[in-house]
Amino acid sequence: MESTLHNLLLGFGTVFTPTNLLYSFVGCLIGTMVGVLPGVGPLAGISMLLPTTFGLHPTSAIILLAGIYYGAMYGGSTTSILMRIPGEAASVMTCIDGYAMARKGRAGPALSIAAIGSFIAGTLSVIGLMLLAPSLARFALGFGPPEYFCLLVCGLVVLSYMTGGSIVKNLSMICLGLMIGMIGIDQMSGYFRFSYGVTALGDGIGIVPVAVGLFGVSEILATAGSADIREVLKPRLRDLLPSGQELKDSVGPIGRGTLLGFLIGIIPGSAHIISTFVAYAMERRLSKHPERFGEGAIEGVAGPEAANNAASEGALVPLLALGVPTGPIPAVLLAALMVHGITPGPLFIKEQPEVFWGLIASMYVGNTVLLLLNLPMVGIFVNFLRVPYRILYPIILLFCIVGVYAVNSSMVDVAAMCVMGLLGYLLRKLDFETAPLVLGAVLAPIIEFSFRQALAMSNGKYAIFVERPIAATFLAVALAMILLGLKPLVFKKKDWRERLTEAEKSG
Amino acid sequence: MNARRMLLAVLAMGCLLATAFAPGPALAADPYPTRPIQVIVPFPPGGVADLVGRPFVAALEKHLKQPVVIVNKTGAGGAVGMQALAVSKPDGYSLMVALSSISVMPEVDTMFGRPPVYKLSDFAPIALLSADPTVLIVSSKSPWKTVADFVADAKKRPGEIKYSSSGIYGTMHVAMEMFAHSAGIKLRHIPTGGGGPALTALLGGHVDALSGGPNIAVAQMKAGTVRVLGGWGDKRLAALPDVPTLKELGYKDVEFYIWSGFFAPAATPEPILKVLREATAKAVQAPEFKAAMQKMETPIAYLDAPEFKTFWDKDADRLIKSVRNIGKVQ
Repeated sequence: MESTLHNLLLGFGTVFTPTNLLYSFVGCLIGTMVGVLPGVGPLAGISMLLPTTFGLHPTSAIILLAGIYYGAMYGGSTTSILMRIPGEAASVMTCIDGYAMARKGRAGPALSIAAIGSFIAGTLSVIGLMLLAPSLARFALGFGPPEYFCLLVCGLVVLSYMTGGSIVKNLSMICLGLMIGMIGIDQMSGYFRFSYGVTALGDGIGIVPVAVGLFGVSEILATAGSADIREVLKPRLRDLLPSGQELKDSVGPIGRGTLLGFLIGIIPGSAHIISTFVAYAMERRLSKHPERFGEGAIEGVAGPEAANNAASEGALVPLLALGVPTGPIPAVLLAALMVHGITPGPLFIKEQPEVFWGLIASMYVGNTVLLLLNLPMVGIFVNFLRVPYRILYPIILLFCIVGVYAVNSSMVDVAAMCVMGLLGYLLRKLDFETAPLVLGAVLAPIIEFSFRQALAMSNGKYAIFVERPIAATFLAVALAMILLGLKPLVFKKKDWRERLTEAEKSG
Repeated sequence: MNARRMLLAVLAMGCLLATAFAPGPALAADPYPTRPIQVIVPFPPGGVADLVGRPFVAALEKHLKQPVVIVNKTGAGGAVGMQALAVSKPDGYSLMVALSSISVMPEVDTMFGRPPVYKLSDFAPIALLSADPTVLIVSSKSPWKTVADFVADAKKRPGEIKYSSSGIYGTMHVAMEMFAHSAGIKLRHIPTGGGGPALTALLGGHVDALSGGPNIAVAQMKAGTVRVLGGWGDKRLAALPDVPTLKELGYKDVEFYIWSGFFAPAATPEPILKVLREATAKAVQAPEFKAAMQKMETPIAYLDAPEFKTFWDKDADRLIKSVRNIGKVQ
């Protein structure tokens, strides 16, 4: 503990130089912008700025790039809440209840709670990263394809309660999403699937075009098509901050979201996306009023937003503690260190204490900066809703197109977004939910790949999913969830008996 | 009068000549390049091609006296960017830094009965920039201390030893299968989504071995988490002098490099290629480029176009054979 404090002092000593403070601030600012802009996510943002850091000191470079990474998680919620356009993939879940809140005139509280939740999650995760990194990293590596697959199955089972409306319609949407997720090169055999000769479809239809198209573009089209003119919301200061009840409702989700996000974040893979949907599903499952979800429940904003911040910092654990980049974003951060001649390995923290502790300290500073940056912005952002739709929406559409194009310099992505937008519009007209479709498309490649990797490991034996303790635990939880889902059948009987006894008593 | 007419005629001729030659040939006489050059990197930022490409173009633009800009055109394992160069105008303003995987893709396409997205003959090699042999990495918890141990065990239980790779027909896959074929052993392939996840799988104990770049291996080896048994290079690596090459262990036809090369579209005129080759020769000598490569522990392996062509032909031949040996995966 004493050495931790000593090291932290070293870290703060590194950060509190004018240059590093500046880079931390600039990173957070760029991150927020990257998050706010639809389409451009943290990966694209960090990738684009990576070359500019080549001339910097390695500590400054990593402080700047990490700032963009966790900063994007703050910014990502803004357009999700205001316009139902996920600023980056991890904000998809925030769209559902955040936007519903905005339509009820509670955009301010939704944005505030997203910022506050992000701050709490961010700060707690840095503490986790600081104290637990080496020991947790070993545990995380034990997470192989079978465990990953079982985690996702478990998440999906919980999620099956997610959206309201017809079960048949929701299931058909999930299936359609899974089918869209099948497009692209089969990673196990190299076959092109459903790409119709378009090389650019080799990597599948990206998460970003799907999410932005199905949520954002379809929303814009639907608004343009609706006859009723929505009243322009005039926010008052009282309406910007969450009410006491809303704050109270958010405490639990933020705490659970942080823990869940951090743990899932450590697991190899695109964890920050998965953490949000698991957090959302969990909140809905635990809520006494699950029917409020989708109608503007603040828990549905607080949980996922806390989770994606915690996950983004958790994802740094294996990189910093073991030198293993477990996902695309840590890989770019690794590259940023490698150009400076630092190859993180298991000895990284010992050999480069200045870089590691400087980064940790910069994250404390960065999270505070982000809170101070984002809370006052709530007032400004909410005012965007005052702009008449005929001006606001074409501009947003433009930003969507530019953002989606910028990620891969690909017109195919833009086309995919447009098609998804039209599809989303049609589905809404036919009263289908688009959220299960997006989730299906996002999760299909991950589920399929981890399933087939696991089977390749076991040479085709399905027993691998129950022989490994972590995997088996997840499957057991999933089973328990299904059984809990059947509980109402039992309870109904009880109700009937109770009613009978009551009737007998009164009779 | 006559003299004046003559003068006018001469002046008119002069004007005509000036207008005729000034914009066209006068421009053409301007030495290439006259505007910014775009260098496609068909992989995302932070990958080998990107990390070699950026310091390289920074050194290159000093000699070409024009901005040289990297464009990451990613997708389908690099096929999107390579195809983009193949169909670019061969005017010297679209170039590419690509990796050894360039040789594999058309063969895989042919094997699957698809029209190849590009042909190797679509590209004119300008120079080889770097070549790093992969090394055989196993967990330090594994029983194998030498390549011989590894091969003996693999022969005892064919198809049981698992290795991870960056992806199907990717560098780490092709290298390992080349060795397995030469050693007459059968290994089980677990593809992952990239070099990082492949290493994660090894360190997590989900697979037993992998063939990967030496720079990561060295950092892990220092910490004692992995052992390096052998290398795919022609010579031993400077960073790993105790690690034998597979060649010296008797696997004569096993040689594999993750190399990066500088390419132009095939029909690029010879004078332009000459300018690029000369600028490249100077750029690889630039101290900043050398320092950048030193930091990443990636050795510069410069070869000029003719030697690079010979190297590439030989390398492509080995890779294509290896891909054919792998065949279609069920």
